[in-house]
Amino acid sequence: MAEAAVVGEQFFQLAEKLNAFNKAVTTKVPIAQTPKQLVWSLNKAKLYHYVPVLPKEKRHPIPLILIFALMNRPYILDLRPGHSFVEFMVHQGYDLYLLDWGAPGPEDKNLKFDDYTLDYMPRAIRKMKSIAESEEFSMLGWCIGAILATVYSALRPDDGLRNLILLTAPLDFSDKQGITFARWVDERFFDVDKVLAATGNMPGGMIDYGAKALKPVDNYVLNYLKLWDNLDNPQVVEAWKAMNTWVTDNVDLAAGAFRQLVVDLYRNDLLMKGEWIIRGERVDLKKIRASLLTVIAQADHITPPCQSEAIMTKVSSTDKELFRVRGGHIGIMAGSGADKITWPHMEAWLRARSG
Amino acid sequence: MAEERAPNGKDFDPVGAFREVRDNYLDAWAKTMVDAVNTEAYAKATGTMLDTYLTASSPFREALEKAMLQALQQLSMPSRADFISLAERLTNVEMKLDDLDAKLDEIQKTLKKPASAAPLRAAAPAARNRRKGAK
Repeated sequence: MAEAAVVGEQFFQLAEKLNAFNKAVTTKVPIAQTPKQLVWSLNKAKLYHYVPVLPKEKRHPIPLILIFALMNRPYILDLRPGHSFVEFMVHQGYDLYLLDWGAPGPEDKNLKFDDYTLDYMPRAIRKMKSIAESEEFSMLGWCIGAILATVYSALRPDDGLRNLILLTAPLDFSDKQGITFARWVDERFFDVDKVLAATGNMPGGMIDYGAKALKPVDNYVLNYLKLWDNLDNPQVVEAWKAMNTWVTDNVDLAAGAFRQLVVDLYRNDLLMKGEWIIRGERVDLKKIRASLLTVIAQADHITPPCQSEAIMTKVSSTDKELFRVRGGHIGIMAGSGADKITWPHMEAWLRARSG
Repeated sequence: MAEERAPNGKDFDPVGAFREVRDNYLDAWAKTMVDAVNTEAYAKATGTMLDTYLTASSPFREALEKAMLQALQQLSMPSRADFISLAERLTNVEMKLDDLDAKLDEIQKTLKKPASAAPLRAAAPAARNRRKGAK
């Protein structure tokens, strides 16, 4: 009888745990809570200005613009209060702006890197400079956002860019053995035009599958196991839920840009070869003169370190630094150690150059 | 019944032992899978699967698109292509408006500068006169 009671109790505990697990997996948590104002928009793109918390005399005079990838939501930079890069930088006195690309619709399928770097970014930056009343600015690009930031910096070197931070930047595609994505999108196996003819834009779900399939057991098993093992730890559960909210919130990638990414970059490595033509203009990395900080995640499976190193020798910048961080593609900015290692290092580097 | 103790003197934890075995197994599996997906064979297999799906679904998709287009034409309603063309034109208009807005901003700033400088210039002759008078 006593054994039956124990079994019943255990069964009840298991049911409770399953319920908590299900709740954690299916509920979304409030994210991107740092107060901000919409100051500019064009098509789906929006420029946000974060409300400063320090008086003007204590703020850095050079504004900073954040450029995130095209196929994910940028709120990973402002994940949750107390663990937000945006919140951290605002409290350090930065005049902070975020360019959110939004989600492209069928009408945006022709959008290319050309449009993003020469139509959208210059206008957003013009607006930022006008609001900040500064001719100079700093720019941080992450992942595909780093490609956009690099191309913009090379095509518009006289636009006032003072500091450029490239985070896990996939710029060099020459090492085909070291880049799993390069193998997957090889022209022998992947017909990019056929896929885009069927889907219009590149579906966010497919891109998400691609990113997760690089580490299938980690993403489809261990990730959930970590939650299961830590259901009694509210801090871990909250962090997991916030990250899961972001991971499951995918954005399509405009067909034109996806095609360029596959054909021009992954297959032909045109950017590093100095042969990439953006709206008739060659992207010459030597034209980049801004101070440069390149941040590499040493365990990055999406952008392996070999993709971000060569930029250091291609630019004309005399003030440049390569900073290696232990961690993965997202972990270095949103993981538990980000606020102890990556953020303070970037902030210190930028502070020294934002006076 | 006496509690079981591990050789190190700590209480034997069957769940902990199970977890350790499980984690070791999963780590090994994770590494194997990372190696597996990083092969040409995997790329070829997924490419073939995707290609087969696209080839098989293409006739249905095209037929559906054609039927939809005809239906919309019969009903005198705009098609997806019409909406796309309209949206592209709207974006172009938005860009022009944005440029106009920026130019207006510049003009406003330029106008503000002389406005604040003007009283100084206007005051300058009077000041000169006063200085002359003082002499």
